[in-house]
Amino acid sequence: MSAVFSGIKASTFLAWKSIQRGNRGTLALTIMIIALILVNLVFLPSIISGVVVTFDTQSIDFDLGNLVVEPREGSQYIEDVAVLQRKIERIPGIVGTSPRIAAGVTYSYRGRIAASTLYGITPEDERSVTKIADRMIAGEFLSNGDTDAIVMGTTLAGREGEEAGGLPSLQGVVVGDSVEVAYPNGERRTYRVKGIYETQSFSVDTAAFVTGREMSGVLGLDDQASMILVKTGVSGREDAYKRELLSYGVQEEVRTFREKSGGFVDQAVQSFNIINTISTLVSLIIAIVVVFIVIFINTVNRRRQIGILKAIGIGQQIIINSYILQVLFITTVGAIAGIGLTAGVTTYLTAYPLVFPGGPVYPDVEVSAVLQSVASLFAVSVAAGYIPAWQIVREDILSAIRG
Amino acid sequence: MIVAENLTRVYTMGRVEVHALAGVSLEVAKGEFVGIMGASGSGKSTLLHILGLLDRPTSGSVTIDGVDVLALSDHQRTLFRLNRLGYVFQDYALIGELTALENVYLTSLVRGAPKDEYIERSADILRQVGLGGRTDHRQSELSGGEQQRVAIARALMNNPSILLADEPCANLDSQTSKSILDLFARLNEELDQTILMVSHEEWHKEYFCRVVTLRDGVIGDMVECRKM
Ligand SMILES: Nc1ncnc2c1ncn2[C@@H]1O[C@H](COP(=O)(O)OP(=O)(O)O)[C@@H](O)[C@H]1O
Ligand SMILES: [Mg+2]
Repeated sequence: MSAVFSGIKASTFLAWKSIQRGNRGTLALTIMIIALILVNLVFLPSIISGVVVTFDTQSIDFDLGNLVVEPREGSQYIEDVAVLQRKIERIPGIVGTSPRIAAGVTYSYRGRIAASTLYGITPEDERSVTKIADRMIAGEFLSNGDTDAIVMGTTLAGREGEEAGGLPSLQGVVVGDSVEVAYPNGERRTYRVKGIYETQSFSVDTAAFVTGREMSGVLGLDDQASMILVKTGVSGREDAYKRELLSYGVQEEVRTFREKSGGFVDQAVQSFNIINTISTLVSLIIAIVVVFIVIFINTVNRRRQIGILKAIGIGQQIIINSYILQVLFITTVGAIAGIGLTAGVTTYLTAYPLVFPGGPVYPDVEVSAVLQSVASLFAVSVAAGYIPAWQIVREDILSAIRG
Repeated sequence: MIVAENLTRVYTMGRVEVHALAGVSLEVAKGEFVGIMGASGSGKSTLLHILGLLDRPTSGSVTIDGVDVLALSDHQRTLFRLNRLGYVFQDYALIGELTALENVYLTSLVRGAPKDEYIERSADILRQVGLGGRTDHRQSELSGGEQQRVAIARALMNNPSILLADEPCANLDSQTSKSILDLFARLNEELDQTILMVSHEEWHKEYFCRVVTLRDGVIGDMVECRKM
């Protein structure tokens, strides 16, 4: 036991002297490479996870709520909306519901035409589910009594003289303008633009809203809706709430926002994860190669020294361990530097987020992912350092000393 | 006490066999200062490597202090070198990253000695070899003679039962060589240190108790030089 302890002390002594008095430049460079590898290991997954978080919050906050109730198989509309709404709102954990009527319409404005989805909503209910009303960049959101008012997304409103690259755009609508809407049943209405919002979700920013009362009038509906958006108290437990709704006797189709988006996120995440796996493997291989080369050169340069150490009675394990300890030191300092760099990059990208079509993406650094990266970095470094040290240390004493 | 019997060491280089040692038997008693002499290539280093447990003979037997050292595993031989032997190389073989003091106390640290003890003892030995003021110097900051004295101090650190030195003065001028030999003589006389030293300088003979001369891998003759 004490032999083991003094062996570790001797390894530590040799490792530390070697770090202290070895080549500073090589040491700094190696530490930097390890740090960058760690950044690479942590960064890409954090962006991927950030994309998912963004997609989820954007979907929940602006597009779909947590759950979407849709008409039964074969029906176009949900009937008896008010009753159903009250039934859902009685379920514990449900904080709001918003019925929506959806129609594919054509807008005309100063000779320009655009087509997108127009929703008929109950403004007060909508506020209890989505946050669109908080994102007005001009004018105001709808009120319950409005009949001739429309609010539209910033992309649909567009900018004077700018085409929106294939997205529907009226190129320059401002609050107070009149826009004509052609409904699918042939009815035409002219609305005054009451407000313009920007959510950074492109499907929302290309849509527009009027009151449900107005739209029911135009389409001849009564207490009917195309969908009811449901907001739950906590996000992330949509599947459980969905079962809850069904168990409370909701007969309509209930889908989570993830299901509703047609597996888009799941597919994207899957593709991202393949990229991430490749990137992780490449990073780890680089780590293996770098550590291997550094320790290999280190041990080859010290063949003679290793021979001398053995000649004066210092065991192989002590010598190998001194190299392992150097690797541990390099990896530890590299990992700390890497975590620092990651924190820097994360802070920067939180202040100046990457903008994706689904909204701004903030890097989502998960502690478990960082720990996992650090652990795999240590594992490959120790393995990559052990092999050359072990190889050189086994060499015959006299040939090592002869150099 | 060393008892070596019928040592041979054959190097095979391709189809050629070199008999570096061709049957050497030798006994060295405790407290002897033995010089191993002979022409270059006569097998001096080969013999010292085998007695210093750095190499194994092709045949023969070696017993040191009653231990059949050829029967030991590599790890046991490493520990034997650590605990019982002190080896001085021709070219000093210091660890360049360590100071003189660190070079000297390293083996003691490995043996698990308490820190104050090994620091004090290594400083003390360096003083004895005349390097009291050089403890913090690294190899590159020391002259050849100083480096060799650090190497000797290192070899003495663990109170070796045998001190083996392979041409320790080969790279030194005659005055420095003399100071090294004086040091060996003093260790031998005052501490009864057993010393086995390889040399090919005639004038070194006056220091040895006994001179063993090798010729083509066998002992040519064995002369008592000095009264023990
Ligand atoms: N590693 C080796 N491989 C082949 N031949 C060797 C080796 N070491 C020593 N020899 C040969 O063995 C003989 C004795 O060498 P050595 O013991 O070094 O002589 P000395 O030290 O007396 O000069 C020489 O002929 C030398 O060439
Ligand atoms: Mg020789």
